[in-house]
This record gives sequence, C-alpha cells and structure tokens, in this order.
Amino acid sequence: MTARHHPSPDTLLAFASGSLDPARGLVVACHIERCPACAGQVRLMEEVGGALLADAEPTPLTDGALARTLARLDGIAPEAAAVPGRGHDMPVVSQALERCALGPWRWIGPGLHWRSTDVLAEDGTRAFLLRSKPGTRLPHHTHTGVEMTLVLKGAFSHQGGRYAAGDLEEADEATEHQPIVDPGEDCICLVAMNGNLRLLGVMGRLLQPFVRL
Amino acid sequence: MHASFRAHIAACPSRRGAPGLGRRVIDVPEDPPPEPPFSPVRGVQAAAGRRAPAAGNADLARLIVAIAQSKDRAAFTRLFGHFAPRVKTYMLRLGAAPALAEDLAQETLLMVWRKAALFDPAGASASGWVYTIARNLRRDRLRRDNHPAETQPELALQPEAMTPPDVALDAADLEQRVRQAMARLGDDQRRVVRLSFFEDRPHAEIAAALGIPLGTVKSRLRLAMKKLRDLLDDTQ
Repeated sequence: MTARHHPSPDTLLAFASGSLDPARGLVVACHIERCPACAGQVRLMEEVGGALLADAEPTPLTDGALARTLARLDGIAPEAAAVPGRGHDMPVVSQALERCALGPWRWIGPGLHWRSTDVLAEDGTRAFLLRSKPGTRLPHHTHTGVEMTLVLKGAFSHQGGRYAAGDLEEADEATEHQPIVDPGEDCICLVAMNGNLRLLGVMGRLLQPFVRL
Repeated sequence: MHASFRAHIAACPSRRGAPGLGRRVIDVPEDPPPEPPFSPVRGVQAAAGRRAPAAGNADLARLIVAIAQSKDRAAFTRLFGHFAPRVKTYMLRLGAAPALAEDLAQETLLMVWRKAALFDPAGASASGWVYTIARNLRRDRLRRDNHPAETQPELALQPEAMTPPDVALDAADLEQRVRQAMARLGDDQRRVVRLSFFEDRPHAEIAAALGIPLGTVKSRLRLAMKKLRDLLDDTQ
C-alpha cells in the first residue's frame, strides 16, 4: 500500500517545523503513519530542528524551576509503551486520530456521512471525516480556502487522478473537482478544510449547512 | 537527591563540578558561556566549532536511557540543565510569553521523564527527540487554547509518538551529520531554514524581513532541504 499522492515538500516542512495548523497537521500525521517515504523526510527535518535546538542560546529559567519540576516527577509514572487511544469505532486504525475526540456519524446526504473531530485551528481550519458509499458522486465543488484530503479506506477518482488509501490531496482556490467514489467499498476520508466549500447542485445545497465553516 | 547527584557527577570524569545545583537552574557545565544573541547565519557554524556535538549528543541519549531504565533523577537533572533553557528559548522565539515559555520548557522535560522508555537511540538523536516533544507540546497547547471549554489535561499531556523512523536512516550520528550538512549550506539557505523552525512568522513576513520576494524564500527553503537530503544521502 504505497501512497502515490503525497504532501508537498512545503507542507512536510511546515509539519516538521510545527507551523502547520493543527487540522492539516492531523491529516499529514495520518499520512505519515502510512508512508515511510514521507516519514523519512520528516524525520530528517526533525533532526534539523534538533540541531537548531541544540544550538539555541539557553535562556535561564526562574529560580527554583528545577526543584519544582523534580517535585512533580513522583506524580508522573513513566510509560513503558505508547498510550492506548480512545478506541474509536473506526474500521481503520490511526494513532494520530486516536488522540482526537470524534463525534457520531451523521447522515448529510445520499450515501454520505460526516463525523466531526475536536481539531479546530485558530484560523478556522477544521478536521472532519467523510464516509461515502461505493459509487457516490460527491458534490461538484470549488474552494474558497485550502482543503487537504487523506484517504483512510477505499478510493475515489476525479480529474486529478485516483486516490486510494494513504493518498493525500492538497487543493486550493484554483481546484475545481467532482470526486467519484470507487465501487466495491465505502470510502473514508479525513479532511482538513479552511474557508468555504462552494457546493454546486442539489447535493451541494443539502451538504452546505453541515460543512460550511 | 542532592547527594546522589554529586555522586553522579563524581562518577562522570568528563564533567567539571557544579556547585549550587538545585538552588538555581544553570546550564550543564560543559556548555560554553552564553554568546550574544545568535544571528540566523552564524549559529550553526559557531556551534560546529565550539564542541564535539556527537559525543555530547550520545551522552544526552544515554541520560534519557538511564531515566527509562532506572528513573534516574540525576540523569533527569542533567537533561533539565541542558534542554530546559534551550526549549525556553525556542518557545520565546516562537512568540510565547516568558511565563508560558517557562511552563512549556518544564512540561517538555516532564514529558521526557514520562516518555523516556519510548526513546529509541537508534531512531533519533536526543536533540531531535526533545525537539519533537517541544514542538508537539506547543502545538497541543495552541490546540487546547482553541477549545477552552474542553479540558483534557491528561490527553493534552500526551504528544504523539515520534514520527516512525525510516529504516534507511541510522540515527546514531544523525545529528552530527545534519550539523555538517547544515554547515555546508549557503548563508541564505541556512537563514531561511532557521527562520522557518525558530520564528513564528509566515513566509511572507520572513520575505519582507529579508527584503526578498516570497517566491525566493520558498525556493530557497526547498533547495536547502533538498541539499540537506542529498548531503545526508552522500554521507551514509
């Protein structure tokens, strides 16, 4: 399951340097869990961050900071393994997603369900899940902001190509597309969106009140 | 605690004495006195010449392992002395108020204590690992601040696992190789790399500050990262 569509180098750098908003950061984190190539790139960038940290001028902490921190150690049990997640009822496992609170699945249109996450960025970019029945034709839409979509399960296609599990798509104002979900299985996507999705058509009018940001 | 820490120092031939520790937080003794505030250009070069980074980093990695193996508070004290003031600088540079920067520096070190068993010295350098913890804590704090009604202190304390190591990357001397590669970047490229990690400014503002077009900032960054990748590939 090698991903064929990846985040741009700019996006990976923004992720590694901590400047990507939390919603898109969640989507990229979920991609990296599934993509060793991007994980390697980010690891390298994180080592750059480590080298910069090592070179940073130390700023003295306030008096007693060490003593206060040492006093707190007893209350913190070292962890021997990764923290268990929240155990979402999701057909796909993602460590990053396990750290988020998810709402219930909500019907938002024929063949289409939507599920909120608690990830909301300062600028209004939010992350949510979208589940589509096989063969669903998603509303024709354009964007007023950025949209980032990661396929967690299933696949869809549009003018820009086919996107299967692990693939990530970045779209902006210039993108206009109408995805069609592959036959065979449900398609579940994790989406980060900023600005308004401008939906066209009947489906769009149904969907609009729910995903409008 | 104090006595055991002194014993640890005595058992550590590479270290000079550190009287007064625990009373006042100071940097680990092997570090040089503070330099003037670094310019984006010369930080890496200066660091490359002032100590042997690989040895220091391996030392720091051993301290993290000591915490994992035996809850070694003396090891924690040394890590705190080294990293907490640097993490505070990192937070300040990214725009945190002094009190928040200090808080996040302490939280970062508490997380080091808590997550020490998850540190894989073969997968990351000590500095790289601590960097990701600091970065994630800062991000999670921002995220929590966007949800003031939703308090989940337990979960907010848990950063994500570090990015899974790529099997092709042997991290034993990774930081040193990264340093060498960065030292070989041009000044302009090093400057934009540093600014994108250590300044909370969009690229457009960085461009304005440097007096160059936005597209130049982006292309310089891309070139710098590509060059780093290439240099690291060459040294493997």
